[in-house]
Amino acid sequence: MDFELSEQQQLIRTEVRNLAGKFDWGYWRDLDRTGEYPHAFFNEFAANGWLGTVIPTEYGGSGLGVTEAAIVLLEICASGAGTSGASPIHFSMFPPMPIILHGSDEMKRRYLPPIARGEMKLAFSVTEPNVGSDTTQLQTTAVRDGDEWAINGRKIWCTNAQNADRVLILTRTTPADQVAKRSKGMSLFFAEMDRSAISVRLIEKMGRHAVDSNELFIDDLRVPHADLVGEEGEGFSHIMTGLNPERIVIAAEAVGIGRAALDKAVHYAKDRVVFGRPIGRNQGVQFPLAEAYAHLEAAELMTLKAAWLYDNGLPCGKEANIAKLLAAEAGCDAVDHAVQTHGGFGYAREFDVERLYREVRLYKIAPISQQMVLNYLGEHVLGMPRSY
Amino acid sequence: MDIIVTLKQVPDPEAPKETFRIDESGMKILNPPNIDPVINGYDENAIEAALQLKEAAGGKVVAVSMGETGATRALKQAMAMGVDEGILLQDESFADADAASTAYVLARAIEKIGSYGLILCGRQASDWDQSQVPSGIAELLGLPSVTAVQKVALQGDTVRVERILEDGYEVLDIHGPCVVTVSNEANKPRYPTLKGIMTAGKKQIPVWDAAELGVDAAQVGSAGALTRVSKLYVPSFDGDCEFIAGETPEEMGANLALRLRELKII
Repeated sequence: MDFELSEQQQLIRTEVRNLAGKFDWGYWRDLDRTGEYPHAFFNEFAANGWLGTVIPTEYGGSGLGVTEAAIVLLEICASGAGTSGASPIHFSMFPPMPIILHGSDEMKRRYLPPIARGEMKLAFSVTEPNVGSDTTQLQTTAVRDGDEWAINGRKIWCTNAQNADRVLILTRTTPADQVAKRSKGMSLFFAEMDRSAISVRLIEKMGRHAVDSNELFIDDLRVPHADLVGEEGEGFSHIMTGLNPERIVIAAEAVGIGRAALDKAVHYAKDRVVFGRPIGRNQGVQFPLAEAYAHLEAAELMTLKAAWLYDNGLPCGKEANIAKLLAAEAGCDAVDHAVQTHGGFGYAREFDVERLYREVRLYKIAPISQQMVLNYLGEHVLGMPRSY
Repeated sequence: MDIIVTLKQVPDPEAPKETFRIDESGMKILNPPNIDPVINGYDENAIEAALQLKEAAGGKVVAVSMGETGATRALKQAMAMGVDEGILLQDESFADADAASTAYVLARAIEKIGSYGLILCGRQASDWDQSQVPSGIAELLGLPSVTAVQKVALQGDTVRVERILEDGYEVLDIHGPCVVTVSNEANKPRYPTLKGIMTAGKKQIPVWDAAELGVDAAQVGSAGALTRVSKLYVPSFDGDCEFIAGETPEEMGANLALRLRELKII
């Protein structure tokens, strides 16, 4: 058993930390206020080759694994960038997964190199207003029309649509009552973000103000057959293959945000003097932070175990789900304790833990709720009856 | 032109100040726990200068570092930035070197590398701030040296540098191989790209020990040191706050001036 990161992984961690460190707390505070996309940050990471971390080398990437992706995203979050910094990079790493795993060679050649270079921004669209976690019930349809498909429907929680050039979109191509299993008959498209056929409505939300979430109204979006990803009718299974890696990196992001908040809280607890002594000398302040640290370490360990399993071609569903569950809890707790440590200042935007508090909460909900993770563990790992 | 860059690993200057520790009896600066040492910042400027020269005029850049096994990380970082080769100089007998015995080992290594037109070093190391090693290398190799430059350029075989002065800079041309120390004004070191990191990961770093270098045992490490640290301590800074009273701001100001004179500050 070896818990050491490789020399290359250590270097990746150091260099991402250094690069992300160029963008200070004030940069993210301003974007949180204006809601502007972090273009400078995204372009810097693109220029240094980080967007292509998991894209195979023959298509312009670096061909690394989920472990390295997790390290990159954890360090971005730990720099204080939070979800606002992680999401732009995340969305260049994970929407392309089905293309990498199931796309045709021609599709990979056409799209992966510009994605790796940061010249093509992506959105990812599965969830619908009336569907939620029961993806098999989705109502957006794609109908074949010669060499094209016509897509119609509504999507919600589509991240990045305001800036995206293309959207990976899951549709139903065969009605649910005409397929043997409900998970069949769905197809995945890598469609151009044609704004004449897609109306994008921004959703105002609690945090991650720099990266947009949207509702899409799709009216006769025409997509060439060549932009069908993988096999017709297999879109759901194509999406599923990318879910475990996504849970792993989401876990890494939650740990990173927790760590950023914890660092702030520890410094504050050492510096802030009340009643003639630093508040960090009080066990009531110190112990929650020590406990948060321990939980973050444990969550990171599970995250890296899940990543290692995935990269070694081993089953990792259990570990990826547990990592996401533990990391979201640990991240949220750490940020909560950081806010509490700061007292009234923790509630002020100027002290930044307030932003992290709003951002980290997302990880208990997306990309899957804590409750759905528990359902998975109860049913598929512990063998208990399905609870929903 | 082939360029050699010397590198030193130092405790991270960005580390929180409360993590700074020394070993008073061993006369050593200790690396803070859980914070990896980094490449000396001025050495990064030297790497960047070398890479810019290589991009403009071709040639090869070789980085050489004397240090513990951990120094391979510094060399890998340099290679990830674009340095072609890295060489680690490591031997038990190199331990506790001072500037003179460090310069001796580096000079022998540079002789062994053989092919070079320019040796670039950082202007000083951020741990001891001595600025001695580069001049020592130049002396041992019989090369001209120019310290603390803000610009270095190649014109054929001539190296043109801008050496920083107190009130400006002077332009010097050096013909033939030389040692130049680079200051932070020279450039902003690049960040390694992911591709650079992967390329560096595939390269081996040869380790040259005392036997490989054929050095004189009496001139390396503590045996070859010409200086001895007689005392190493962290100075204490005690603060004391005194409020100066007065009925009016003018009176407070006058009282402050009197108090400062009493303390012999003004």
